[in-house]
Amino acid sequence: MAWKRVCSVDGFAANAVRKFTVDGVEVVAVNLGGDFRVIPPMCPHMEEPLGESGLYQDGVFTCTKHLWQWDLKTGAKTGVAERDIKMYRTKVEGGELLAFIDKPLEYEYVEE
Amino acid sequence: MPSRNAAQWNTPPNSLRIDEFVDSRIYSDPAIFEEELEKIWKKSWLPVCHESELPEPYDFRTLTIAREPILVVRGPDNKIRAFLNVCPHRGMLIERRPSGSFLENQASGNPKHMTCMFHGWQFDMKGNCAMITREKEGYQDRLSRKDLGLRELRCETTFGNFVWVTLDDNNTQSVNDWAGDALACIQKNLDAEPLEVFHYHKAIIGTNYKLWHDTNSEFYHDYMHYFNRITGFTPEYFARKNVAHKNGHVVVGTFEVQYEKYQLGKSRAELSFPGLPPNQWFMVDLFPGANFNLRGSALRVDVMTPLSADTVMIEFRGLGLKRDTAEERMRRIEHHNSIWGPFGRNLHEDLLGVAGQGSAMLPGSEPRRIIQARHENETIHDEVGMRHFYQEWGRRMNRLPSDPTRKYMEAAE
Repeated sequence: MAWKRVCSVDGFAANAVRKFTVDGVEVVAVNLGGDFRVIPPMCPHMEEPLGESGLYQDGVFTCTKHLWQWDLKTGAKTGVAERDIKMYRTKVEGGELLAFIDKPLEYEYVEE
Repeated sequence: MPSRNAAQWNTPPNSLRIDEFVDSRIYSDPAIFEEELEKIWKKSWLPVCHESELPEPYDFRTLTIAREPILVVRGPDNKIRAFLNVCPHRGMLIERRPSGSFLENQASGNPKHMTCMFHGWQFDMKGNCAMITREKEGYQDRLSRKDLGLRELRCETTFGNFVWVTLDDNNTQSVNDWAGDALACIQKNLDAEPLEVFHYHKAIIGTNYKLWHDTNSEFYHDYMHYFNRITGFTPEYFARKNVAHKNGHVVVGTFEVQYEKYQLGKSRAELSFPGLPPNQWFMVDLFPGANFNLRGSALRVDVMTPLSADTVMIEFRGLGLKRDTAEERMRRIEHHNSIWGPFGRNLHEDLLGVAGQGSAMLPGSEPRRIIQARHENETIHDEVGMRHFYQEWGRRMNRLPSDPTRKYMEAAE
């Protein structure tokens, strides 16, 4: 079983973007307003740490560095973003946010 | 000997040859200084730092040569490259920190890239432009990233793995062509094992850079160094040769230092650099302003950055072996500091000398003759090193050092 505890949902403010290390895997969790998403810590564009540069507002998740954006309901790119965002499966049980973390989700980056 | 009035003071003694003195305007004249940046500093190889100061991929340092901002960085491929630290977009300085790592995330930069904070353009460690914000919207298909890479500078990591940079793309010389002849005497000691910088400080000194270099190329000023004077003036000391090498460089001989004669001194033989005879000392002065000083157990390398006619920044580095144990390193540092540290025997006295000259040769000061006429069979108190330096200077500048209003080439004929 690879469902793992990320955090308690108690005190996790709506629209907040928070960093966690779950069993050695770094993740970023976002509260869409009672609905949670858990994503890899880096922007798929240029490895920007989304725990610092990520902003969730009006239903859109934005990396504030180059303004790539995603619909976190689905992970689909929107605006100028060129890649979808990867997401872990999540669920809330007994006031705990859980994510299904088998292995870290990663992106390939182009190194010239 | 009578004192002299203005006319007498301004007439060099007849017996002085034209290369045995220089006119102080070569040190004090701001216009000559500007010309030196163009004709000398922008056209020479300079050892700007050591590879051990960039130990990890993405480590960088910034510096200037002749006021041009430069960035050196170790790539993920471990190759060290140098770039103009200037964004191709609006001419903004890209990196403002003196050193650091591009792995770290920055408020207006992101990992693994250099970022111009002004408009968010980004470059990778090879100087490729990796990001132009709103590229298509602004440039359509007229301009793209591939047209807008950084300006890469010629850069070699060599001679003890120092990082050498030149602004001159047209100079076909390698570092070895440029300085190999002069550095040959210590090359095997520099290259035997990886070195590591253990000491760094910089000083901004109110003097012309050439006055500092002059001091490094004559040892007659050991009369100022009290301890050198009382312990050093031995037959071996006076036998040291002062040898001119091509491109204006000078090797200020070699000899075995008698550390036992120093107050509380003892031999440093056991920590001598690999391949170096015990307690041996070598010094190489590189045109136009760097100095390799290998004193048995410690290497000191000074690099000058002239800031104006009457101001120079000197970076002082001390190096030992990378494999030093903590105890060995501590003793090397002690050896280094006992001579060259702020409470050491020599450095502060050298600074007093050149700062005194600097305060007597401020911009606008009256032209004076500065004498470099000692001939002692090209040994340690012979001023052959300065004469050699100013020959190269005269050629590069096409100005006669003893009268910079005259052309060197014509005077030489």
